[in-house]
Amino acid sequence: MKRILLACSSGMSTSLLVKKMEEEAKEKGVDVEIWAVAQDKAPSEMEKADVLLIGPQMRFMKKKFSKRAEEVGIPLDVIDPVAYGRVDGKAVLNMALELIGE
Amino acid sequence: MNSKFMQFLEDILLPIADKLNNNRYLSALRDGFMVALPLIIFGSIFVVIANLPFLDKLISEDAYAAYQNALGPASAATLSIMGIFVIIGIGYKLTEHYKGEAIYGGVVAFASFLILTPQVLEGVSGVIPTASLGAQGMFLGIFTAFISAELYRFFVQKNWTIKMPAGVPGAVSKSFSALIPITLTLTVFLVIRIIFSYTSFDTVQNFIYTIIQQPLTALGSGLPATIVAVLLIQVFWFFGLHGQIIVNSVFDPIWYALNDENLSAFQAGTELPNIITKQFIDSFLVGMGGSGMTLAVVLLIYLIGRSRQLKEIGKLGGPSGFFNVNEPIIFGLPIIMNPLIIIPWLIAPVVVTIITYYSMATGLVPPPAGIIVPWTTPPILSGFLATGNAWQGAVLQAFNLAVVMVIWWPFLKLLDKNYYETENKETKNAS
Repeated sequence: MKRILLACSSGMSTSLLVKKMEEEAKEKGVDVEIWAVAQDKAPSEMEKADVLLIGPQMRFMKKKFSKRAEEVGIPLDVIDPVAYGRVDGKAVLNMALELIGE
Repeated sequence: MNSKFMQFLEDILLPIADKLNNNRYLSALRDGFMVALPLIIFGSIFVVIANLPFLDKLISEDAYAAYQNALGPASAATLSIMGIFVIIGIGYKLTEHYKGEAIYGGVVAFASFLILTPQVLEGVSGVIPTASLGAQGMFLGIFTAFISAELYRFFVQKNWTIKMPAGVPGAVSKSFSALIPITLTLTVFLVIRIIFSYTSFDTVQNFIYTIIQQPLTALGSGLPATIVAVLLIQVFWFFGLHGQIIVNSVFDPIWYALNDENLSAFQAGTELPNIITKQFIDSFLVGMGGSGMTLAVVLLIYLIGRSRQLKEIGKLGGPSGFFNVNEPIIFGLPIIMNPLIIIPWLIAPVVVTIITYYSMATGLVPPPAGIIVPWTTPPILSGFLATGNAWQGAVLQAFNLAVVMVIWWPFLKLLDKNYYETENKETKNAS
């Protein structure tokens, strides 16, 4: 089970991605749990996740989240803006899996 | 616009966004407002229900007054005294940030604020005027929460304890651990209160209100400052940075204070003092499909879009656009870093700000009534609710959508043509 956490300002626009990524994971046959949260909830939610992906509009949070990610011991990155705009579940899922190291 | 210049601007904006968003005071402030938000919206719902249109004509005057009186406490206990919840939220979040006992940080902030608050109203002592817990006390509350959380942390770190003789149970001496920092923090505020009672300001609340809050809100309620704020939001978004979350962390105290002043006037049935309020921004600018009023762009794509790329974006961004979530449009169109789009992107919101401002200033449309409408409320409905159930608010939003469409039309047409031609070439090359 791969646990993928997405974060943006209020968890709204990343939640658009969640559904697309779940569909893609189903097709690929990967067992995942994907959820989106508002940025203020991200530090506490990171404990339950294997990877954190940040919406590109909140990329200025990366530095702050990096410290916490190190404590929890998970990788994190900013989602590619083009994939974000296309709500490209496939690209973002692949990015998440790559970060986890699959 | 060359890419070096773009890179240069981004190098400036990114650190600003980082500083503003990660500053511990501004982030405690933003989170403090988040704590208050559910209560504020609860109050707002009942202001809307208490002021249903035409109800005053359907039932007798007495019945209408009784109806309003019955629902009044809902907003009086939440929206009108929102300062309380913001203060507790800030004290809590800041203390949590310092890894202290957050709940003490919250209540100490609130108690400190009450110590500085007038405790007399029109000669009657032993009362706390609710006005000072709402709009009027907003700035004092914010500063008090910051300072009290810092003092509390300072005194906790000093770790001054009362030495108990051997044989006293550990739990007893531990019970003093919160007592000393709290006592010292609140004493500081009591001394501040006493000092101010000897000045011409009488109370600290009066001092902060006169010296800081009034000038700032007067500035913030004007058209020039609003246009600057709106342009800043647009510029941040143009670089793909979340404009509102950055700008709001500075402007929210002003916009909420202005909002609460209107609410008091609306409920008292007097003239609304402000045009620029939290809802002016949230319902009439951001609440039109998201920042930059991109619902107009979606509608325009449906009307004139020929290229596959634009049609695809319309499909992706349309449904969420009605609820003011527009990242698919911003990153997909794309709006970010698109030199063709920067013109309508910056001009349209300014034009809409001016139209909205003057249609309210001239009395064509009632100003926002101080009701907080959740930002995901679709336009037309949000304009109706924000203006205290006035149909003019809905019409103004529809009119503004049309204006934005006209401004965007030539630019989107050109973008569509470019995409369409590239797509045709690609198909030809492929065949």
